[in-house]
Amino acid sequence: MTRAGGTALPALLLALLLLPACGQTPDQQPDGPATGAGGEVIQVVDAMGDTVRLDGPPSRVVSLVPSATLTLDALGVRSRLVGRTDYDTLAWARTLPSVGGGLEPNLEDLVALTPDLVIRFGGDQDPVTPRRLDELGIPHAAVRPDAVADVFRSIRVVGALVGEEVRADSLARHLEARLDSLRRARRGGPSPRVAYLLGGEPPWVAGPGTYIHELVELVGGTNVFADLDDLYASVSLEEFLVREIDVVVTHGAEELRGRLPGDLPIREVGGALELPGPWVVEAAHELDQAVHGGPPGARR
Amino acid sequence: MKRTALAVVLVALLAVAVLLGVRFGSVPLSTGEALRALTGGGEATHRTIVLELRLPRVLLGVLVGGGLALAGATFQAILRNPLAEPYILGISGGASVGAVLVLTLGLAGSGSWVLPLAAFAGALLAIGLVFRVAIASGRSMDVRVLLLAGVVVGAFFSACIAFILSVSEARTIQSAVLWIMGSLAGTSWRDVTLAAVYSLPAAAVLLTLARPLNALAIGEETAQYLGTDVERVKRIALAVAALLTAAGVAVAGVIGFVGLVVPHAIRLLVGSDHRVLLPLSFLAGAAFLTLADLLARLALAPTEIPIGVITAFVGVPFFLLLLRRSMTR
Repeated sequence: MTRAGGTALPALLLALLLLPACGQTPDQQPDGPATGAGGEVIQVVDAMGDTVRLDGPPSRVVSLVPSATLTLDALGVRSRLVGRTDYDTLAWARTLPSVGGGLEPNLEDLVALTPDLVIRFGGDQDPVTPRRLDELGIPHAAVRPDAVADVFRSIRVVGALVGEEVRADSLARHLEARLDSLRRARRGGPSPRVAYLLGGEPPWVAGPGTYIHELVELVGGTNVFADLDDLYASVSLEEFLVREIDVVVTHGAEELRGRLPGDLPIREVGGALELPGPWVVEAAHELDQAVHGGPPGARR
Repeated sequence: MKRTALAVVLVALLAVAVLLGVRFGSVPLSTGEALRALTGGGEATHRTIVLELRLPRVLLGVLVGGGLALAGATFQAILRNPLAEPYILGISGGASVGAVLVLTLGLAGSGSWVLPLAAFAGALLAIGLVFRVAIASGRSMDVRVLLLAGVVVGAFFSACIAFILSVSEARTIQSAVLWIMGSLAGTSWRDVTLAAVYSLPAAAVLLTLARPLNALAIGEETAQYLGTDVERVKRIALAVAALLTAAGVAVAGVIGFVGLVVPHAIRLLVGSDHRVLLPLSFLAGAAFLTLADLLARLALAPTEIPIGVITAFVGVPFFLLLLRRSMTR
């Protein structure tokens, strides 16, 4: 039989898709909130450049984007969430009904929640959902949590959508300030050569343009795979021998022990790095510890 | 089994499948709620779920499942090969290349018709290639050449897909892989209309070819002696069956197994008179895919299982059982 796509793609690839990546679309800058002054009507330009119009602050929100779920919580409007995805695994979020995955969610479950706003991923990974939401008359807005700058932009867009612009702005400023102080603390210091590994065989690494790459550089590290053509790519083990790596950073590294050539130190970070959102500062701190092997000023 | 009995059973099964498909979903509705929604009453949310989500999806399952089984029966008759199925001429490969290109180049967002259109164009390209090769070998179309050309073209397209995926961004790969696996999720009325416009006339044409297909099944030479215009029948039947498959692939992706196994199962039950085999294959394929989709939606709700997984999990044991029974008889 000539079934197409007989090439079994490793499950890793699917896992990779949940990882952030830089926007490939011509970025409609800067999708800032543009709320009608003083009016009841909320009008926001989302990450895809589409204008979203709401008759008032939404009270039944379904978030298809885990980082947006965290943002809503950080803005203190957790109670307005009525639905989440299978990837929202915090205890409080788990009490809400799930609509399946963030891409191509279960529309039946989504409709049953009678949302007055759906927050979804922008981009072309899922062309079906926005079309069906339009046809069903359910308002939806896109966010693209891809790069560090997107994190702040997404927080402001989500804040404007739920009528909490002021809070969103102060949250974004606060996070920006903390990231800045981390960046300053490492400026001019040593710059360890870092490889961020996602697992797989041959292993996948984070290339330029990724959220991970940005944070590695922000905490003073040098991404040894900054010359890749892709956001993420699988590379030969030989590369690990020739690229003069100081430290390999990964999340969930048990499988890697003993597989990498040489005696490369492998350091573990938590999952915050894979969820670009309000956790960006925690993620940067964890990465900072892993890259430098200790807080600023400590001897390596 | 008697033909009329099987026909009655299949019609009833299809009706039950459609009703179950509308009645059950990941949101629990009572039978009364589902019926009220179906007739335009009840709560607005229930109406949306039944009329805008479940009904179009069920009807698309009927059209695609029936179409695939019918096309499979036709291919098996003309190619006189038990392994023949709707995708054997590289149609799935061509359609997948079209769809994967659209998805990885990020064109899918530029219009809802772009994806099905690209898939359909890819399928037509594959069909065109294969037929040209088969006809070039002589005045008459050699089915062995056709088969070989189909397999080779299919393999070539598979390589194209593997190449495109290997150089594309990881996150677009998921949508491409999901598309290739086939799904009825997210079906809108527009998809149903699109499929109906192609499938129904194509199915009607194939059904009228039952008699000449019977003659062909004996052998091309014999059929010629019996007064069948063998070349004409072959070309029309193959082209129409290919179009039918292409339309199905364009709206629902590559759903395997229905087109291979359903016609065989019906043949084992009622023999190979195409006047019976073709319509019953359509009915059985329609019911089978509708029920498979129901299972795909319910088994792990709210997560959906790829429908091709269900068609294989349910279809293979059933088919092996039938096969064994027919051997021991």
